[in-house]
Amino acid sequence: MKQLISLEINDRVYDLPLDPRDLLVDVIRKKVGLTGTKKGCGQGDCGACTVLVDGKPILSCLTLAITCRGKKITTIEGLTGDTGELHPIQQAFVDYGAVQCGFCTPGMILTAKALLDRIARPTEEEIKRSISGNICRCTGYKKIIEAIEAAGNTISAEGVK
Amino acid sequence: MYLDHFEYHAPQTSGQAMDLIESLGDKARLLAGGTDLLLMMKDKTLKPEHLIDINNVEEYKGISYEPGKGAVIGATTKIADLEHSTLIQEKYYALHQAAGELGSTQVRTMATVGGNSCHASPAAETPTPLVALGAKVVLSSTSGEREMPLEEFITGNRMNALAEGELLTRFLVPDLPPKSASRYSYIGLRDAMEIDAVNMAVNLTVEDDGRTVKDLRLVMGSVAPRPLVSTEVPSLMIGKEFDEKLLEKAAQAASEEAKPISDIRASAEYRRKVVAVLARRLLKNAFDAVREV
Repeated sequence: MKQLISLEINDRVYDLPLDPRDLLVDVIRKKVGLTGTKKGCGQGDCGACTVLVDGKPILSCLTLAITCRGKKITTIEGLTGDTGELHPIQQAFVDYGAVQCGFCTPGMILTAKALLDRIARPTEEEIKRSISGNICRCTGYKKIIEAIEAAGNTISAEGVK
Repeated sequence: MYLDHFEYHAPQTSGQAMDLIESLGDKARLLAGGTDLLLMMKDKTLKPEHLIDINNVEEYKGISYEPGKGAVIGATTKIADLEHSTLIQEKYYALHQAAGELGSTQVRTMATVGGNSCHASPAAETPTPLVALGAKVVLSSTSGEREMPLEEFITGNRMNALAEGELLTRFLVPDLPPKSASRYSYIGLRDAMEIDAVNMAVNLTVEDDGRTVKDLRLVMGSVAPRPLVSTEVPSLMIGKEFDEKLLEKAAQAASEEAKPISDIRASAEYRRKVVAVLARRLLKNAFDAVREV
């Protein structure tokens, strides 16, 4: 049975008619229309559907949307500034050629965001461990790791959030 | 992969949660991290009519510690919170290690320590060190609470000792005596998102001389339907001085004690060999760690 649920996504509150079984990934993509979040395996293995809930990376394909009431959800669209300027992590992914097909990119960047919020300048090992639940099938890991390292340096230097 | 319909309940207090569990009985499932539950609901192996989300009950989460008594770990404490807890890292290193090896960053953010034990997969990461550390579980219902050792709570492959109307609310982990250390390790095909072929935890205490084994628990995972607590290794080592010869004997004893099966992840023969390797490595690491204290 559907009920009206308020979800806060990227600092905007959406009142949505939701069924308890609705998964967060489907709500974000189909009901809210933010298609930056990707649905890959649907089983929690690939990390493409990663979004931040209260700043922490979760798998939106294994999360019931109804459980996110009262929490702050951040998708890849929420990282970009009001005037469209890229977040330093997004900019680093562009600069370092860390995007090929782009399907893993939103999840990769949000996982990296959570890491950099916790550890400003992570080691290569910490980066690898952190993104080990995000699969890239274009085998672009090297550039992705370099981009995250560079973004960490930029953010530390500029004090950007 | 859509889920079947169910009714969703989000109790805010322990009393509300236990009332719901009692009144809904086996029509309901508890939602903790959901990383196992939602998968089973997606592939339709589980079709609960009700889901009781216990994540809003504050008293079910968090880690506290009292010197001399030990730690209390709430059942809905996230695996990532165990991994990043300096208390767990300092006092219960094996649990810190196991938490860091579970799933991926995202899975650790979502999954709970209570769910990991209740789901009771033979290859689960955290029950192995928790059993080695002597953890007890507290099972609560409207009629009260009872405690039991975790190794008795996990009764078999994906089976636990919860009676109708009960839920696991917290783990009690005893304080470690001086001159003791715990270590965890595993063997699997890769690091991330892997399911252990064998995992193991060791909890070692030595006498004041720094050489004689005073107390020891060695627990193996993924080589039996539930965490296997070695009886042979402690009986070989307790009261003896730690040396290479004794270590070798202990590793062989552990290997003979394991009851592995052959499956998609490893053969029984390979698992037996790995048990000896892990036992040797972990006993040595724990012994070295104790001597540094």
